[in-house]
Amino acid sequence: TIRRDELESTIEETLLEADVSYDATEEIIEKLKANLGKLKRKIDYPAVEEELKSVVRDVIQHNNKDAVNLLTVEKKPFVILFLGINGTGKTTTIGKLAYYLKSNNKSVVLSASDTFRAGAIDQLNILAGNVGVEIIKHDFRSDPASVAFDAIEHAKARKMDYVLIDSAGRMQTNKNLLDEMKKIKRVAKPDMTILVLDAMIGQDVINQALTFSSEINYDGVIVTKLDTDAKGGSIISISAGIKKPILFVGIGQEMDDIIPFDVEWYLKKIFSS
Amino acid sequence: MVLDNLSESLKSIMRKISGSSFIDKDTIKEVTKEIQRALLKADVNVKLVLKLTNTVQERALNEKPPAGMTAQDYIIRVIYEELLKILGTDSNFDLKPQTIMLVGLYGNGKTTTAGKLARLFMKKGLSTGLIAADVHRPGAFEQLQQISGDVNCGFYGEKGEKNALKIVRNGIKELADFKIKIIDTSGRDSLDQELIDEVHEIKEKINPDTVLFVIDATLGQQAGPQAKTLHDAVNIDGVIITKMDGTGKAGGALSAVADIQSPVYFIGTGEHMDDIQIFNPKKFLSRLLGM
Ligand SMILES: Nc1nc2c(ncn2[C@@H]2O[C@H](COP(=O)(O)OP(=O)(O)OP(=O)(O)O)[C@@H](O)[C@H]2O)c(=O)[nH]1
Ligand SMILES: Nc1nc2c(ncn2[C@@H]2O[C@H](COP(=O)(O)OP(=O)(O)OP(=O)(O)O)[C@@H](O)[C@H]2O)c(=O)[nH]1
Ligand SMILES: [K+]
Ligand SMILES: [Mg+2]
Ligand SMILES: [Mg+2]
Repeated sequence: TIRRDELESTIEETLLEADVSYDATEEIIEKLKANLGKLKRKIDYPAVEEELKSVVRDVIQHNNKDAVNLLTVEKKPFVILFLGINGTGKTTTIGKLAYYLKSNNKSVVLSASDTFRAGAIDQLNILAGNVGVEIIKHDFRSDPASVAFDAIEHAKARKMDYVLIDSAGRMQTNKNLLDEMKKIKRVAKPDMTILVLDAMIGQDVINQALTFSSEINYDGVIVTKLDTDAKGGSIISISAGIKKPILFVGIGQEMDDIIPFDVEWYLKKIFSS
Repeated sequence: MVLDNLSESLKSIMRKISGSSFIDKDTIKEVTKEIQRALLKADVNVKLVLKLTNTVQERALNEKPPAGMTAQDYIIRVIYEELLKILGTDSNFDLKPQTIMLVGLYGNGKTTTAGKLARLFMKKGLSTGLIAADVHRPGAFEQLQQISGDVNCGFYGEKGEKNALKIVRNGIKELADFKIKIIDTSGRDSLDQELIDEVHEIKEKINPDTVLFVIDATLGQQAGPQAKTLHDAVNIDGVIITKMDGTGKAGGALSAVADIQSPVYFIGTGEHMDDIQIFNPKKFLSRLLGM
């Protein structure tokens, strides 16, 4: 059992240690307290945890109700643009998604639109080879938007199903890079834009998610590196604060280490140990 | 800069303290609560925040400010001192001939930092060679090779080779003429025992002079525990905090430093090879506290 007055700080600690944002943590505690009001005096910890789980479930589920099923989209080619700050896992995730789509008998072409970072084109090229999908690439330092344009033309001409556009990591504080991203988006007119977030980030998730939302806008989120010890509280922070669906999660460095987001799977991860 | 937000919230706390005519128990409690919030929002480890604010509270309640110092100024000094304890003392990186190994989590900036360090050393007249020991991430070889071309330094790698230790061994021999050798390794985390074993073996067999932990400023609560695991495996000599040009407040990195008690030497402030600065804890904290 747990003393009522200790409850709040214990839960607060649990959530913050999972990297849930400060605001989402407060919101969840308020909801929890409201729900627990019904339970009166007797509070034992398992009951609190069940209640907490159900509050968190509500927060996340709410935004994932009408997430698009990527496999059943009608438009052809279906163009997806990936963005995020440096090193979150964009390029790896594109390889994984290409693998996922190909395993479901879809044709895929990758657009090597990170023309900036050293070795980025090579990296995507190797992934395309490993997965066995096509790639359109230009020279290092060439215009990322025109690579995307060519990839889309390529897909149209061959009636291919998906175009996945890689992009250079960019800090949401870098205006030039945000402008470049706007241009890529204007040219590619993607059917879906995905923000890739690293599960190990902490409170900064809200800054990233909000700035990319207001500057570029995106339709959903993929959280990577959930195979690590990180609980990935960013999933809760995003769902509470930004109201965007979580589409997939990355669970390793291999091409099959990606799974469609599942609320119960995540609840198990965050409330284990 | 990155720490402006934390600095802003601490500044407003300071204004609050300075604004009140005397400091009673309740004010101190309220103030520590706000410090807590500011530190938590900056990703400082939850347990560390609690420990830190308890100490601040206790010292503020029990110690008498030195003669001539107001209670307000005294609380500010206590916070400053406790944060400085975490960061350690001034620590200038010794620019001497050596073999450096970079370790860290996936995508935190090791390979890029290898290039930045090479440029820094060469500016000081120390010839530098990079060794491509990331045998796991596709394109890691090409990335480091291209970077070495950009900064015009030495390079050793074996494309397709899967044994990192073998590459490092050969690389150290091949680059014998270079004063500085920098080993770039794969990203890894505490749950991947195979990768932890890999880097542990390199450390044991090669025994680099300096192991630097590269950690990014956006990292959350896992920063400390992850640093600890790597520290146990390879004994970290120093820390480099990257992505300080973003809005991440590096409280995670600070917590890692608290856990492994290694000095921070440099910060990364962008993607370009010149975007590296020497870390100065006092300047960093003075800024942070708005002093
Ligand atoms: N363990 C683990 N590692 C991952 C996962 N996703 C990506 N990574 C690793 O994270 C690192 C960075 O991945 P990239 O795909 O290069 O990231 P990026 O966002 O494209 O990076 P930039 O293009 O440089 O901004 C690599 O070492 C990947 O292997 C994941 O789900 N789990
Ligand atoms: N904005 C910014 N980006 C940085 C900084 N340092 C590194 N990066 C970027 O972060 C991304 C990842 O950097 P890498 O050097 O590939 O990271 P890594 O640790 O070698 O990654 P893995 O080998 O996959 O584990 C790249 O896009 C870099 O350009 C920095 O200080 N600021
Ligand atoms: K997180
Ligand atoms: Mg990339
Ligand atoms: Mg690397």
